[in-house]
Amino acid sequence: MEGLVFDIQHFSIYDGPGIRTTVFLKGCPLRCIWCHNPESWQKEPQRSLKDPLKLIGRKMTPEEIMVEVEKDNDYYLNSGGGITLSGGEPMLQFEFTLELLKLAKEKGIHTCLETSGYSPKENFEEIYPWVDLFLFDYKATGKERHMKFVGVENELILSNLEYLNVKGAHLILRCPLIPTINDQEEHFKALAALSNQYSGVEGVEILPYHDFGKGKWEEVGLQYALDKITTVDSFIKEKWKQRLIALGCKKLF
Amino acid sequence: MNSGKDFLSMGIKFTQTYKKYINAHPAKREIMCLKVIFPHVLEDIRPEDMFAGREKYGPIGFTPEGVGHGPIIDGFMYYCDETLLKNEINSSSDCNELLESLDEIKEFWRFENTKYKVRNAYSEELASALPHDNFAEEPGIAFPLYRMGGIYLNYEKLVKNGIPGMLKEIAKLELEAAKINGDIEIYQAMKMAVELLVDICLYYSDQAKQLGKNDVAEILEKITTSKPENLREAIQLVWIYSILAGAMNYGRMDVFLGDFYTSDIDSGLISKEVALEMISSFWKLMADRNTIWNGRVIIGGLGRNNELNADRFALAAIAATRIVKEIEPQLTLRFYKGMNSELMEKALETIGEGRTYPMLYNDDINVDAVMRAFEISYEEALQYVPFGCGEYVINHKSFGTPSGVINLSKALEAVLFNGLDLESGKVIGLQAGEFNGFETFDDVFDAYKKQVTYLVEALSKQEELEYKIAGENATFLYVSMLFDDCMERGKGIFSGGAQYLGGTLETYGNTNVADSLTAINQLVFVEKCMTLDTMIKALKANFVGYEKEHKMMVDAPKFGNDDLIADEMAKVHHNFVCNIVRKQKKSTKLHSYLAVIINNSTNTTFGHLTNASPDGRRAGQPLANANMPSAGSDKNSITFVMNSQVKLDPTIHAGSVQNMKFSRELFSNSPIIVKALLNTYFSKGGTQAMITVVNKGDLENAMDDPEKYRQLFVRVGGFSARFIELERDIQLEIISRTLY
Repeated sequence: MEGLVFDIQHFSIYDGPGIRTTVFLKGCPLRCIWCHNPESWQKEPQRSLKDPLKLIGRKMTPEEIMVEVEKDNDYYLNSGGGITLSGGEPMLQFEFTLELLKLAKEKGIHTCLETSGYSPKENFEEIYPWVDLFLFDYKATGKERHMKFVGVENELILSNLEYLNVKGAHLILRCPLIPTINDQEEHFKALAALSNQYSGVEGVEILPYHDFGKGKWEEVGLQYALDKITTVDSFIKEKWKQRLIALGCKKLF
Repeated sequence: MNSGKDFLSMGIKFTQTYKKYINAHPAKREIMCLKVIFPHVLEDIRPEDMFAGREKYGPIGFTPEGVGHGPIIDGFMYYCDETLLKNEINSSSDCNELLESLDEIKEFWRFENTKYKVRNAYSEELASALPHDNFAEEPGIAFPLYRMGGIYLNYEKLVKNGIPGMLKEIAKLELEAAKINGDIEIYQAMKMAVELLVDICLYYSDQAKQLGKNDVAEILEKITTSKPENLREAIQLVWIYSILAGAMNYGRMDVFLGDFYTSDIDSGLISKEVALEMISSFWKLMADRNTIWNGRVIIGGLGRNNELNADRFALAAIAATRIVKEIEPQLTLRFYKGMNSELMEKALETIGEGRTYPMLYNDDINVDAVMRAFEISYEEALQYVPFGCGEYVINHKSFGTPSGVINLSKALEAVLFNGLDLESGKVIGLQAGEFNGFETFDDVFDAYKKQVTYLVEALSKQEELEYKIAGENATFLYVSMLFDDCMERGKGIFSGGAQYLGGTLETYGNTNVADSLTAINQLVFVEKCMTLDTMIKALKANFVGYEKEHKMMVDAPKFGNDDLIADEMAKVHHNFVCNIVRKQKKSTKLHSYLAVIINNSTNTTFGHLTNASPDGRRAGQPLANANMPSAGSDKNSITFVMNSQVKLDPTIHAGSVQNMKFSRELFSNSPIIVKALLNTYFSKGGTQAMITVVNKGDLENAMDDPEKYRQLFVRVGGFSARFIELERDIQLEIISRTLY
């Protein structure tokens, strides 16, 4: 069995606890307008428009990936780290993702799954026992806003979140915040409420917008829509954090 | 105050004295010459100093390690630095008579200075293998270095016995020597040396009184007649002795000052704050001595009998390093699993502030490694101390001055270009035949091994010879009195006094050669996608017109990526180099001869004179920095760099250094991660780490706006520096290093 991977990043310290290795899977059903990995959207390998010799996306077996991942075992053990599956949307290559997680658990490695939550419930049913910690995205509040900015409806995502919580999974809500797009009071309120609604949710991590991904849109031939928005500075990030705390948001990472 | 005229007339007097005693016992000659230098080269106490002892050497004199000792750029032991001399003459308004006698003196020293004596003693074979001394300008593979570096004195003995104790010991040994008709002249010279030490203390004491610094004066007087009884007296004695001895590394300071420190504070004699002030003043004096590559202070680690007291001093030492923001002392923390965790905590905090200190040394790996590399006992290995840029010696028991440098990249270049340096057309190595005679990878590797072996054999003989000449020409009185076995044997350290006279060889370009061999093997012989002919043409052209080939060489597996192929080659190469160096002990009288994989800025200097290499490095670019991957070739992460580094055997050399650059963001936002990372690295076999912490962009910004970045420190290699004070191409090399 093979999966399509577009990056493996070692010494990942922002994708879950401790020192981790993040495996980025290609293919995503969402079309978030702020995405900084647009090269992850297509399910097939694609050529970079900037460097013709560079092919984005390479087929690998779970065993091949684990060989790379296991090189850093000692670092995981000493830091509470492990493997994180991300992308794109790892649940899109569900069989492959499941296989990889099983293999990691077999080898005693802590597993994180970064997911938008947009995948059939049956898939989450099957996969949750193999995931130590879900990094579950919460991107926008309200049907219309969600469709407009994320490209898909939010019902399936919310019901999967509920399901995972019922099944006793551990989750952290990961929330990209983009000025003028989803930094409204309504969204903050909903986020704070959501964090408290589910006991499985350990807390919230806000991901302030940055424009480092802009160049990648050109690289894959897409038109970037957020040209006018600049990277969020620490002052604004702090303001947002304070706002959420005031709204009673559960632990902010 | 020493003015130019004083240096010139001192130089004249020094020369006259030397001539007078030219046939006397070297010890006698030495002390008579030292009496001319001191107090002449001593500089005045400054108002802020809590201790006396500043120096500035002149163009002519005696000191064990010339270069790196203040203004001296050329020479060691008995030296005459012609550039300095010229400058002094130019800036003096003296009469012609004086200047004429100086011409004569210059001529005299031309053939009498120790560096010349060493060079002149080379056999024909040696001179042919090592034709040049100036490795900054001459293309070549191997070069000698002239100095007796890495002096570590027995400060424990010094502060325990004090000056009276030393005189007593000398008297006793002189009596015993007289009974058996042994050499008593050496003891007489030693006695005179201690008397000179007393004179200098009193000289400074008078000066201190005149400056109204009565506390300094009292201490200086006191230590002339009794052993130190408190921290301040101990520091003063240690410092003034180091100045006279020309010793620039200060030993296991927490051990020999720890008891004084704790007893003073616990008895209420001084407060912790005052003690810190003292240490800070001590640190400032070390910083002003400006030895560039030396100034090591060792704290922490196994083998400290008074560990609890030593730990307390060690914490104060770390605190002082945070206060005194200078590039020396080079605070060095030895650690082991189970050591008081506060030391490492404070060390990491200090490093996180961008101090580049302390350097971290992993005793759990190093003690065993030193034991095996030096072939000594575990007890002896416990006392390993790094000096200068990272060479190990055994504290006041072994000597290991690096008396050679070898550019391994240039050795490979010589193999590829049939012994020629392309730039100059000169023959710089063995001529193993044109490259198209190489049919297999082993042919290439064997030719390289032959080239390196030939030069390493020569270099080891040069080291042995340098010790011989050194021992024939001077006793090194101050050093010998505090170096194991010398006094009992009644011999100078290099004249049969030291039991362990070992040598070290500085190797450069190790990573570049390993990566180059990988590229040659993979591209030419395994994948067969490039001929050796094409590769060599591409190198000759510095890749211009050979962009495709360049990319292939750049993309070939590289050390630092936990890559099986690249790391296997790195291991094989590392083992070859270390073992061929180590082997030379058998054909010399050296106690040990070991490679070191360190750095200062020689990787940049050598890089200038090295052409394009098969690892994809362009002509003139710096070589890799010690045990780090070459710039830009670590494509994965710090964990993979570390994984690669720990594969290299530490039990076959005398020290390697690992220079890492981390962002301040990482250090301050994720301290637990940093600790976990370093813990893992060390438990996997990491020997040591030197860590620079900078804000992203600071280095680049500092080049545009230097004045704003005065306190930006970086680890260059064997020394730290204010980034803005570095030469441009060294700045660029540091910027090119990966930031984690």
